[in-house]
Amino acid sequence: MRRVVVTGLGPVSNVGTGAAAFGAAVRAGRSGVSPITSFDASGFPHRNAGEVRDFAPQEMVERLDTAEWGRSSLFAAAAARLAVADAGLDPDELSRAGAGSVMGTTSGESQIIERLTEEEVAGGWESLSPHLPRQVPASRLAYAVNRELGLTGEAMTLATACSAGNYAIGYAYDLVRTGAADYMLAGGADSVLRWAHAGFFRLGAVAEDVSSPFDRDRSGIITAEGGAALVLESLEGALARGAQIYGEVLGYGLNCDADHMVSPDPVGIAECMRRAHANAGIEPGDVDYICAHGTGTPANDLAEATAVLDVFGGAPPPISSVKSMLGHTMGASSAFGAIASLIGMREGFLPPTTNFSHHDPALGGIDPVPNEARPADVRIVQNNGFAFGGNNAITVFGRVS
Amino acid sequence: MSSTRGGSPVLAVTGWSAVSPIGTGAAGFTEAVRTGRTGGADVSGMFDAPLPTGRAHAIPDFRAADHLGRKGTRHLDRSTALALVATKLALESTDAAVDGDAAGRAGLVLGTTAGSIRTTSEFSRDTLVEERPYLVNPVMFPGATINCPAGSSAIRHKLRGVNATVAGGQMAGLNVLRYGAHLIGGGHADVLLAGAVEEFSPHMAWGHRALTEGYDVPLGEGSAVFVVEDAERVRSRGRTPEAEVLASAFGTGGPDDTARTLEASVVRALRLAGVGADEVWGVATGEHGVEGLDGAEDAGVRAALGDGPVRIRVKRLVGECNSASGPFQLAALLAHHRTDPGLDGRVSVLTSVSADGAAGAAVVRGHRLPDGTVPAETHDEEGDEL
Repeated sequence: MRRVVVTGLGPVSNVGTGAAAFGAAVRAGRSGVSPITSFDASGFPHRNAGEVRDFAPQEMVERLDTAEWGRSSLFAAAAARLAVADAGLDPDELSRAGAGSVMGTTSGESQIIERLTEEEVAGGWESLSPHLPRQVPASRLAYAVNRELGLTGEAMTLATACSAGNYAIGYAYDLVRTGAADYMLAGGADSVLRWAHAGFFRLGAVAEDVSSPFDRDRSGIITAEGGAALVLESLEGALARGAQIYGEVLGYGLNCDADHMVSPDPVGIAECMRRAHANAGIEPGDVDYICAHGTGTPANDLAEATAVLDVFGGAPPPISSVKSMLGHTMGASSAFGAIASLIGMREGFLPPTTNFSHHDPALGGIDPVPNEARPADVRIVQNNGFAFGGNNAITVFGRVS
Repeated sequence: MSSTRGGSPVLAVTGWSAVSPIGTGAAGFTEAVRTGRTGGADVSGMFDAPLPTGRAHAIPDFRAADHLGRKGTRHLDRSTALALVATKLALESTDAAVDGDAAGRAGLVLGTTAGSIRTTSEFSRDTLVEERPYLVNPVMFPGATINCPAGSSAIRHKLRGVNATVAGGQMAGLNVLRYGAHLIGGGHADVLLAGAVEEFSPHMAWGHRALTEGYDVPLGEGSAVFVVEDAERVRSRGRTPEAEVLASAFGTGGPDDTARTLEASVVRALRLAGVGADEVWGVATGEHGVEGLDGAEDAGVRAALGDGPVRIRVKRLVGECNSASGPFQLAALLAHHRTDPGLDGRVSVLTSVSADGAAGAAVVRGHRLPDGTVPAETHDEEGDEL
């Protein structure tokens, strides 16, 4: 079995695009939240989201015809293109190698479904644009990556909702680890949606202005979007080509609460942490930093902190949420968490939880790295992802010295 | 090109089920394949919304409550309902351990195209037509999310292991087998329910009409689910699998390269399985009546395997079931093994291609059932309380 490392990062986000801009933004605690423009939000009491306002796919992708692909697929392809450049890989060599992609998503190309729905409401079933149904399958996120980069291997889209980015990293890790692939692009992509904004709002889970994870007065998520991709390859191969190495994928854990479709369960989450540690061959005491799922809903943050205290004891490592800055990028979120963690590991800082005002006594003694990034020597990171359906997925990364 | 052998185990199939337009349960599906029964039903009364055709390969009389009882079935979207029943029947068909401590090592890998598109669209519709855009029905929110069938099935059956949803469309059957093999090989699960679900709806029907313009291809629906485990582990405990997925391969290329991508996948999967092309008795393809894709699949199969193997086109029976197509193809192969003892121990191939340029193959060895007989009507039909 081969050791697997991350050598390229491709964030397309509302706080910055590309590893350098994204890293600087996360370190500075910048907010990517703004009033919604992608749909008419005037009828909603809460009208903020984390849109990637400056996303210009036609300037980022080289092969795809942007008219033929939905926004989430274009996020995935653009992120992958960036990650490959960041990894210093020659695109021609990559397309000749055993390479593929695994992308995670919550809602795939639901923006296309919303457009078809608008057409049906306005003009009836006969009026649907005949070119749109072809763009509906969520499988196209990974196909967009392979097509854009000319990859000939696996192309798989995991639709495990808000932990999907971690599922994708886990499967890509297994494919490289076992030698089934030499390079894998892994990550996630999602787009801001009217129906998802409405659904989360109806559940009482959308914050009015910004989300403030782990704060006593936290009131919910900010729906957001973006694309996040990582290049995974073998340590041996990375060393041979003199590649930069952000960190090593040490392992991952997956399980299911099997309890409730939308409410997180601290027991299932704690079990997932133990599985991730066992798979990565580490003990809780080895973890220097936890990149939280940290959605900013009262229920998630309580369940997550309860599980952390259960697994790590009364003095857990610092745990912060990049969703305080990006909002909840759904299927991309744990891939963004991985990117933020790896940049922090390389540059020696912990990303902050912004918008933080008051400790919540119900969350015990957790340290959310409030408001300011913190210099730190980070050797091992645990990156949490939880989701509807009780789909828990946690990845573990280590520094390669 | 990626492969599953070399790091991921041979998968044993130790149980399966189908909820299909031609029959329910492994026995019902097998009988339908044996007799060549085709789907096709009057669907005009299924929905308030208009449909492009009055007949389709849907299952209009499918009702979750017939299988699951009334409790908790009223608000289910159709995809989730189909998945709940298919996974229930699959669990009833296996001797794999999924209770007690084993439940933590048992999970699901379910394929889809984009979840219940109808539920997503109706939820989106409410944001347009209700007085306020947020006056959506919160009960339907989980069903609008793609992973609802897998998550709901885990809750229903108390499966606390890996829970994954693969949006694979036409490739979903291969996706779930490949992913399942890696999950088991990596120690993330011992037993997985691997399959896919696809629902019939006005949304699917109108979309399907646009995608198959100019061809007469009936739209189907349903779910097929296989209980898969590490074959070596199964045999070491003295259990006999009904079939083994020996190896698989998956590739992508340009949409015009599909025949070559498929040929390379079949050749690679056979090599990984250690099986010669001349040993293959049958090929279950995803051919469904749209010229270009069928032509590419046929050309890829012939290039890799010649004209010898029997061609099994299960979509002629069940219709175009999108992500559930691959699982129905595998079910059709196993149905042949159940009805023809002469196929015992022989090897077949399952192929899939997508309009997006993906192509792949799996190599399957089928066995006679342990008692060596064609199964009588088993409880997965009797237990339906129909």
